[in-house]
Amino acid sequence: MKRFLQILIILLSFSTIEAQNTTLFDEGNTLYNKGKYAEAIDKYMAVLETENHSSELYYNLANAHYKLNNVAPSIYYYEKALQLNPKDKDIKNNLAFANNMTVDAIDNLPEVGFSKLIKNMTNTFHFDTWAKITVALGFCYVILVLLYYFSFSSVKKRITFVGSITCLIALFITLAFAFNKFEIDKKNNPAIVFAQEAKVKTDPNTRSEESFRLHEGTKVQIIETYNDWKKIKLTDGKMGWISSEDIKALNNF
Amino acid sequence: MRFIQHISIVLCILVSSIGFAQVTFEAKVSKKKLGVNERLRIDFEMNQDGDNFNPPSFTGFTVIGGPNQSVSNSWINGVRSYKKTYSYFLAPKKRGTFTISQATIVIDGETYKTTPVKIEVTAAIDKPKDPNDPNYVATNNIHLVAEVSNTNPYLNEAITVVYKLYVAPNTGVDNWREIDMPKYDDFWSQTIDTKGQRVQNGTYDGEDYRYLVLRKTVLYPQRTGELNIEPLSLNVAVQVPTNRRDIFGGRLMTRVNKTVSAENKVINVKPLPEKGKPADFTGAVGDFSFKVSTSKTELDASESLQAKVEVRGKGNLKLFNLPKISLPSSLEVYEPEHEENVSTTTRGMQGSISDSYTIVPQYRGKYPLPSISFSYFDLKTETYKRLSSDEIVINVLGGPTNTASEANNSSINNTKQAVVSNNNQFAFIKTKTDFSPIKREYFFKSKLFWSLLLVPFLAIPLAIVFRRKKASMDADIVGNKIRKADRLARKYLKGAKKQLGKKEAFYEALEKALHNYLKAKLRIETSELSKDRIQALLQERGVESSVINDFIAIFENCELARYTPITNVTMQADYDKAAKTISLIDKQAR
Repeated sequence: MKRFLQILIILLSFSTIEAQNTTLFDEGNTLYNKGKYAEAIDKYMAVLETENHSSELYYNLANAHYKLNNVAPSIYYYEKALQLNPKDKDIKNNLAFANNMTVDAIDNLPEVGFSKLIKNMTNTFHFDTWAKITVALGFCYVILVLLYYFSFSSVKKRITFVGSITCLIALFITLAFAFNKFEIDKKNNPAIVFAQEAKVKTDPNTRSEESFRLHEGTKVQIIETYNDWKKIKLTDGKMGWISSEDIKALNNF
Repeated sequence: MRFIQHISIVLCILVSSIGFAQVTFEAKVSKKKLGVNERLRIDFEMNQDGDNFNPPSFTGFTVIGGPNQSVSNSWINGVRSYKKTYSYFLAPKKRGTFTISQATIVIDGETYKTTPVKIEVTAAIDKPKDPNDPNYVATNNIHLVAEVSNTNPYLNEAITVVYKLYVAPNTGVDNWREIDMPKYDDFWSQTIDTKGQRVQNGTYDGEDYRYLVLRKTVLYPQRTGELNIEPLSLNVAVQVPTNRRDIFGGRLMTRVNKTVSAENKVINVKPLPEKGKPADFTGAVGDFSFKVSTSKTELDASESLQAKVEVRGKGNLKLFNLPKISLPSSLEVYEPEHEENVSTTTRGMQGSISDSYTIVPQYRGKYPLPSISFSYFDLKTETYKRLSSDEIVINVLGGPTNTASEANNSSINNTKQAVVSNNNQFAFIKTKTDFSPIKREYFFKSKLFWSLLLVPFLAIPLAIVFRRKKASMDADIVGNKIRKADRLARKYLKGAKKQLGKKEAFYEALEKALHNYLKAKLRIETSELSKDRIQALLQERGVESSVINDFIAIFENCELARYTPITNVTMQADYDKAAKTISLIDKQAR
């Protein structure tokens, strides 16, 4: 009984936070529509402080920053929104607008061949979805094996046998995808340059030579961290070390 | 008579007082400072004749000539001037400072004395100059001086060098020619035009001179440390007075060509302080203002605008680079046009320099020109200062294709205007959302995931074990029969057990149960139920006679019990017996 009460209280508190967040979100939207973008940002940030988020929240936050000409924050939140909802057209469209404001022009190295195919297939689902599919296939396999074991007619046996083998193969493939996607996500650690002009060095110290410069709003990949320095890679393959203060990572692990 | 006497006395006093006032007696030296191997001339001049001239002792000097006595007497416009001079030529005996003491003379019964003269005797001079040599006179009377405004400037701080030609009053300069122009190797230099300068009066070494400003140069040191300013050399044609005099007593002048040089000047240039030097410092030193402006902030794509980065003020304007403007990559930008509007005065350069960028936006959107900063070293406060421009946002209104003109054309042709959907627009915010916690537990690789994935596989061996057990149980026939009979008995006697304790109800239920059992077991109808028939049927099935007798006995007990008092113990015994019998029958019957 006590336990039940506890759960009830927790559920209730969740729902009140949820309700609060929804009102904050709506207030933010109203302010945005009136053109009070800074106030709208405050409201949206209040929602984020309750440790709750959503693709739409990030998107609206990014729009407000865009209207205030804050290049880096707007791109940062568009990317956050895209992480939660990678297929949304509005987000992509407005991100293109925000990217217009950035200074750096960086080429994209296209991926080709088999690895691209694998990557595309892996990226169709989140690794959790892959994991769920794997579990479902596991259940299917067991049920089919049991049906095979307990059925007597040869037709049934044949069907269930073929079915169970296919399930098992599919299970291993999806499991591999789940692991692959997990690894890709683990390696994928993008960040946005927040400093107006950041110097990228050849070594992680201030004495070393400057290899190139990046400007506000450019997206980079963090590969390695050493003290206060991050090793970054651009989409065109250039690498270097940048001070941690100059960039903000999209994933907060 | 007395009146005339008075007048004569007054006249006498006046004349004599005039006479007294005019008496001068003084000592004049040709120079007050001389080398030990040089000579000195001293003149004792008086303007009235006197007697009893008594020269001083000239201690420290030997008299090598004199006394020479000369008298000049001239009448000019009826005014008489008289001069009597005693001249001595002296040679110093040793180095040091000597005083030529007073000379005395008696003029009209009064004794006059000269003031003592101090003479400094220095070390020997290489070549005792002949004071009458025109070259020597020219050297002494013509001086070229370089004046530096600041000999200890900062790097890139403006200093001025002014060359002045000093000429003594008794000499003249006809013409001059520059022989050696100084090259300012470690400086950025600009010469300021000095044409039309007038001769001015000034002093040189405490003596009256005339001077002319020949040249003014503004220098910006480009290197730190001790820098040399090379001397300027001039060839000057000088008019020098000689000893000879013309018929009117005026001195004759000779013309001498003389080379004069300004002395070498050394400047110690201080480096700019390293402390607090901003990263974007490009060497600007002075006092500046900084501005970034655009010709317009709202325009259509493919129109052009000008962005201007401008630095204005005083300082080394031509000697540093303007900060570059960093523009979004989606804007087309052309090479900047550099413009300088700088004038140089003796205080340095002032004016403005600017870079004009031509920018052509290609697509619609907002493009910020980020704030850029400009740092310079302020000489007044001797600190670095940073000026930042404001961020400018260029708003490109029209899209990449000029659809406006098409729309206009169509509206002229027909009154209906096509609704052009602009799918390339900045989308509005979203109004509905569902929140989820940021800290999210992932299902993949969790305990639940692994158990859900692996536990179903355990079902396969379990199923196999289960089936094996079932098969073995099916194989055990006797045991099965016993279990089945027990189950049957319990099933039929369930009703009776509930009524245990209530005599009539119990036995009614028991009888009914037995009937039901027989009906099911022997497949007979209620109407056929008689003891003989039951006995016969059971015997047919191969049930032992003792068991059959027990069964019949139970039936009889049931009937009997309705009329006799029965205890609970008997009821329980009957119930157990019934159960046992049913079980036995079931076991034995085929």
